[in-house]
Amino acid sequence: MCLQNNNMASQGLAYDGCNFFRQRLVLSTLSGKRVKISNIRSKDDNPGLRDFEASFIRLLDKVTNGSKIEINQTGTVLFYMPGLLHGGSVEHDCNMQRSVGYYLEALLMLAPFMKTSLKATLRGVTNDHTDPTIDMLKSTALPLMKKFGIDGEGFDLKVVKRGMAPGGGGEVFFSCPVRRTIRPVQLTDPGKIKRIRGVAYSVRVSPQMANRIVDSTRSVLNQFIPDIYIYTDHMKGANSGKSPGFGLTLVAETLNGSFLSAEMSSTPQGQGDPMLPEDLGRNCAKLLLEEVHRGGCVDSSNQSLTLLLMTLGQQDVSKVLLGPLSPYTIEFLRHIKDFFQIMFKIEVQKPSEDKRKGGDKVLMTCVGVGYSNINKTLK
Amino acid sequence: MKEKWYQEKTKKKNGPKAERKKLKKHGGPTEEDARKRNPKAFAVQSAVRMAKTFHRSQDMKTKKHHIPLVDRTPLEPPPIVIVVVGPPKVGKSTLIRCLIKNFTRQKLGDICGPVTIVSGKKRRLTFMECNNDINTMIDLAKVADLVLMLIDASFGFEMETFEFLNICQVHGFPRIMGVLTHLDSFKNNKVLRKTKKNLKHRFWTEVYQGAKLFYLSGMVYGEYQLQEVKNLGRFISVMKFRPLVWQTSHPYVLVDRMEDLTDPELVRTDPKCDRTVSLYGYLRGTHLKNKGQVHIPGVGDFQVADVNFLPDPCALPDAQKKRALNEKERLLYAPMAGVGGVVYDKDAVYIDLPASHVNQQQMRPTTELVQSLIDTHATLDAKMAASKVSLFSGSATLEPEDIGEQKKEGLQEESVWDPNTQRERRKVVFTTEDEEDVSGSSDDEDGDSEDSDQEDQGEDDGEKNLSTFLKEARAKCVETTKTGAGAPPVKRPKLEERKGESAEVPAFADSEDDLEVSEDEEESGGEEEAGRAGDSGHCSEEDEEESDDGEEESEELCCEFSILLFLSAGGLKWKEGLQQKASDAFLRQQQAAPNLRKRVYGSVVEVDDSEDEEQELGGLFRVSRPQNSKKFQANAVDSSRFSPDASHNWELEEMLNSIRDCFVTGKWDESQDAATLLKEDGERGEAIHSDDGSSCIACDQQNSENDDDDDDQEESVVKVDDKEAMKNKRLEKKQRLKERFDSEYDDGDATYFDDLKEEMQKQAELNRAEFEDVDDETRVQYEGFRPGMYVRLEIPSLPCEFVTNFDPHYPIILGGLGSSEGNVGYLQMRLKKHRWYHRILKTRDPLILSLGWRRFQTMPLYHIEDHNGRHRLLKYTPQHMHCGASIWGPVTPQGTGFLAVQTVAGVKANFRIAATGVVLDLDKSVTVVKKLKLIGYPEKIFKNTSFIKGMFNTVLEVAKFEGASVRTVSGVRGQIKKALSTPAGAFRATFEDRLLMSDVVFLRSWFPVTIPQLYNPVTSLLLPVGQKDSWAGMRTLGQLKHDLGIRNKPNADSLYKPVVRAQRHFNRLQIPKELQKALPFKSKPKQLQPKGKTPRDLQRPSVIREPHEKKVAALLHALSTVHNYNRKKAHTLQHAKHKQFLQEKGKQEEAKLQRQKEARKKLYRAMGQADQKNQRSSLKGET
Repeated sequence: MCLQNNNMASQGLAYDGCNFFRQRLVLSTLSGKRVKISNIRSKDDNPGLRDFEASFIRLLDKVTNGSKIEINQTGTVLFYMPGLLHGGSVEHDCNMQRSVGYYLEALLMLAPFMKTSLKATLRGVTNDHTDPTIDMLKSTALPLMKKFGIDGEGFDLKVVKRGMAPGGGGEVFFSCPVRRTIRPVQLTDPGKIKRIRGVAYSVRVSPQMANRIVDSTRSVLNQFIPDIYIYTDHMKGANSGKSPGFGLTLVAETLNGSFLSAEMSSTPQGQGDPMLPEDLGRNCAKLLLEEVHRGGCVDSSNQSLTLLLMTLGQQDVSKVLLGPLSPYTIEFLRHIKDFFQIMFKIEVQKPSEDKRKGGDKVLMTCVGVGYSNINKTLK
Repeated sequence: MKEKWYQEKTKKKNGPKAERKKLKKHGGPTEEDARKRNPKAFAVQSAVRMAKTFHRSQDMKTKKHHIPLVDRTPLEPPPIVIVVVGPPKVGKSTLIRCLIKNFTRQKLGDICGPVTIVSGKKRRLTFMECNNDINTMIDLAKVADLVLMLIDASFGFEMETFEFLNICQVHGFPRIMGVLTHLDSFKNNKVLRKTKKNLKHRFWTEVYQGAKLFYLSGMVYGEYQLQEVKNLGRFISVMKFRPLVWQTSHPYVLVDRMEDLTDPELVRTDPKCDRTVSLYGYLRGTHLKNKGQVHIPGVGDFQVADVNFLPDPCALPDAQKKRALNEKERLLYAPMAGVGGVVYDKDAVYIDLPASHVNQQQMRPTTELVQSLIDTHATLDAKMAASKVSLFSGSATLEPEDIGEQKKEGLQEESVWDPNTQRERRKVVFTTEDEEDVSGSSDDEDGDSEDSDQEDQGEDDGEKNLSTFLKEARAKCVETTKTGAGAPPVKRPKLEERKGESAEVPAFADSEDDLEVSEDEEESGGEEEAGRAGDSGHCSEEDEEESDDGEEESEELCCEFSILLFLSAGGLKWKEGLQQKASDAFLRQQQAAPNLRKRVYGSVVEVDDSEDEEQELGGLFRVSRPQNSKKFQANAVDSSRFSPDASHNWELEEMLNSIRDCFVTGKWDESQDAATLLKEDGERGEAIHSDDGSSCIACDQQNSENDDDDDDQEESVVKVDDKEAMKNKRLEKKQRLKERFDSEYDDGDATYFDDLKEEMQKQAELNRAEFEDVDDETRVQYEGFRPGMYVRLEIPSLPCEFVTNFDPHYPIILGGLGSSEGNVGYLQMRLKKHRWYHRILKTRDPLILSLGWRRFQTMPLYHIEDHNGRHRLLKYTPQHMHCGASIWGPVTPQGTGFLAVQTVAGVKANFRIAATGVVLDLDKSVTVVKKLKLIGYPEKIFKNTSFIKGMFNTVLEVAKFEGASVRTVSGVRGQIKKALSTPAGAFRATFEDRLLMSDVVFLRSWFPVTIPQLYNPVTSLLLPVGQKDSWAGMRTLGQLKHDLGIRNKPNADSLYKPVVRAQRHFNRLQIPKELQKALPFKSKPKQLQPKGKTPRDLQRPSVIREPHEKKVAALLHALSTVHNYNRKKAHTLQHAKHKQFLQEKGKQEEAKLQRQKEARKKLYRAMGQADQKNQRSSLKGET
């Protein structure tokens, strides 16, 4: 074991509890700092790491080279010494407890900084309640990353097969080119929403469900804007996964090219009360309105990705206007401070009285660390 | 004269010629004329040539482009580092001394460490002398902005110069200016000129064509000539610099001051204990984050415990409209050389009495100050105590006796003492008072100062800064003198802190904080908790612990955001800071919204403090933040989804209305709304009309003449208005079209490059503007410490040798490391042996690399990439080619250059830089392989199949290589098929041809090589003074063998033996009889017997003459001799005569030929003429 690497300055960080597990491991990988997480569910009846977390660690191991991961017998203590991000073709069977979004969110953060461009195939649950679904990440996170200069050929996220919770059976293909540096951004004006798009999907149920969702959604959103188009996506046969279900993802696009999204999916088979597609549509539309109310240039589930890319930018000022910070984001900010010593300037922008533009906004400003991708090979 | 008059007289006064002349005289368009007059000369001669020239000019233009970079230079840049390099005895120190004298009018005796001076209104310079230790050269090349390269012209270039140039080339090329010295040693002017030229051209080939080489022609009283130094100074002060990649991406500090903060008691008990050291210097490069990692070349990697900025000791003069600096502004700062006057920081005040060589007049104010400080310390002590009582009444701990007591307790306190708390103390003292208190106390203290120092009465009250300065200095002075030689002030700070905290609450606590505090109080029951609200972000230890206790009990959500005021650490402009903070607090009170910053970072910042170090886990892991407050959610679900709060009911109309404007269908801003824009346009149009009203009427009348229906004036006006409007509209439309056209076609010049540049410019402006109006305390938390700030870095656990063996002549550099540059891994690099290094390098021989900030010894493996991408190991570096090198070393960004030396110890005659190169790739594993040939022999040979033995030992080994291709020495290829049962390791193989038993079968395979994990930093700064250039690391194999006297036994076959050549004997040639018969006689071997002795009977008898016969013979001989002589004489005579005759004959012949030639010529001419005549006549005849 090479803990005391000779005469080097690199130091480790220690944390308690399994919350924000991904943030810690991702930031550790990017910053090269070792991390030790102890007391993982130590007081729980079922102590230690869960299967999905173990699966996540395995995924990290696949995309990195030379990582050292040590877990104690009960799984309550994890020591992670990051290696270098390698990338390449990766296939991973994600755990069914969490959806692919859980894994993909981390991959989105890591992918631009690999040695070779990442081509990941993730299998498992594509849509569920707890995590952002693939459709949402595809429609919001990808355009967001493009603003940071992560763009070009092979930047793609595809739903090959759709698999609903709890059975899963979905497949997602994600590929991302590598970048040496990240561009600073100034996203201070979200602009007005010009159109709303969406995907109403249904698998292993009547295709009519999707149409019912669309109708009910339009009934709500038509009060604001006429330009609404919701695609119905009904997957059949091998592409439809193992469990029945349906759901809706809505995306509002603004004039300045920022995307706000909301989503909802049906309750998994055999868990809780079944949901009517009309209700789902209406509720989802309301969620979108809520998201619009929160506002900002980035929607709530991508806040942390934005802040990370701002942090890893060049040593220039980046600014972004966000809606209210989610607890996840707040913790992420603290973690960024731990790992990169970057503090954000946080200014609350109150909406003026006469303007009807939703709630408080937060203007986040930071100077990037001047991160450069040390994994990329120089030819 | 006459002619001129004539000309003037006859000058034309009119006519076209005169006019033309006049035009010329007035500077008319001569160019145009030339073009008009001679259009052909200006026409395109060759389209191809034109295209070529155009191409070329474009190429040249683009070649000049650099990738535009965002200009990140701070508004007040750090002093420019000027490194003075050169071999010994070339005049480095003299030059620095002269330059310093030129800029500051001060003389400096010994140049120790960096010397910073103010050279102009916008520029400061730091001079650093570089000795000839290669370690120093490497370190200084990395931080230099400008290199003054001194060359002894009387000697010429020395190795050091070229070594330094090569070092510079590798680590980014700073500006280099050559300076030729010792030019006065040339007596002959011609030789001097020639030498100058030669040196200049050689210098140009090394640096760049046209690089500046400065000549210092001679010495006057041991100094360079004033005018020349002045010129050099001017050159330096107008020089521009290009940003270097490594320097602009890493923060670094060239340390100009070092203080040991270790507890003296600790040092006494254990002289070898690790030291806590504070290092000072200007921050350069880029922003430095607190708690970062730094590398000190020559010492090692360290974690910075704390960074804070200090007021600039060598500040630029205030911007004023004048050209020169006055005497006061010509500052000089060189603490290591003992110049700098009063230096103060958060720990203590350091006073340097001006040395004898320093001009007394200039230093007078400082001296005065010092005198006053020394004089007044006794009285001030009492005063301090008294003032404390008056300030913080109601606190029990602050009686003067108490202080005394605690001082007696000494040891116990000292163990608690920590620099952080000390800073805390200072901070609190300055921030605790509210506005009135501040003014009161400052007045108070001003009074004190007046009372105590009678000498200072001369000082005007305007110098308030100075007085506060003084106070602090005095306080410090008192403390230091009391606690004894250099002992850190022990307990008092802490007491003050507590007092301060309790005193400050009413001023700063905003409503929320109060709430929070009351909660805390309830839970913790601590009184001191009350002080926390107003405390700075850097909370003290006790507070920390208490807050933890409190929070542990609490399970409420609001506790998560433990609310602390976030004011930053102590600065010296404390009054301004105080006001700012007070107003901030007020503003925050006004705000109903929760302070997000507090919510997010409040708890984080306090934790960053000293507590971490105490909670180290096994010396490795630092607890970065207490998780206690978040226990309830430590194991919660990890999801980025933000579920909406239920408060919004989207059924309600007002809720829906609240977001209406977020959509394009909603109301737009005044500036953007289409309707308003249109309306504005309309108004503008109206305005134009109303303005033009009068003129319109005028033109109307003109128009009306043309118009047929000009009955009613008004009507016509209206109509014409319409017309005008139409016209305007058309004009506008045209204008727009024109603009669009222009932007499309004319802006073709605005290339991608220009766009990029503009973008960078914008970003730079934004960077500057963003934090401009934020005060420094807050700003450093967002940005980190700006380059240009004078910072103090505190580093714990430095090896004691650093302090004990400190030598200010050696530079101390703090190089900041990037996020993962503190790790080690495998590095793949491209390397080339330096063409001047006289040996090749051996794989696995230790080599000292200078990479990034670091100098370290490592064991590289050299390899070369085969055509299929395989990295094949090389035993030695190729001579004139790049090769790959893999090392185990510190992670450094790709593209970073490095250089290698075999040893850093001592001075060698020949070139020391062994290799240079660049980092290509970083990885955690390597793929270097070396060739391995397995050899086997046929055991049994069938047709094309053979059984091969001897290659492997077991069946398993064979199984691993099934299907592998093999080859014999003779080139027959084959394949391994299957293992045989006996003998073990034998296998069946098929070949493309039948083998022979004598064949040898090869299997060529590749074996991965492991890279030795050696990373051994060169710790040259830790060596004793005077021996710092004698660092010896691991020895190479060759050195080891040499030192230990080991000689490998060479392979006997490879030894050279003397060549013994045996004499060769050739047998006689035997020709068969048959052949002999057929040969011609000439070639037939002759049956010749060698001549034997003539037999006696065949021998002739000798003749013996009679005396008469002898005489006759003699006479005959004499006669024949005379005859012979005569004949010879006659013959020569005849010969000469004949020669003359031939000559004569030749002459005649020549004359004859000449004659004939002329005759022939005459004849031919006549013939030709006749011919011509004939021809002409024939032509005539025809016509």
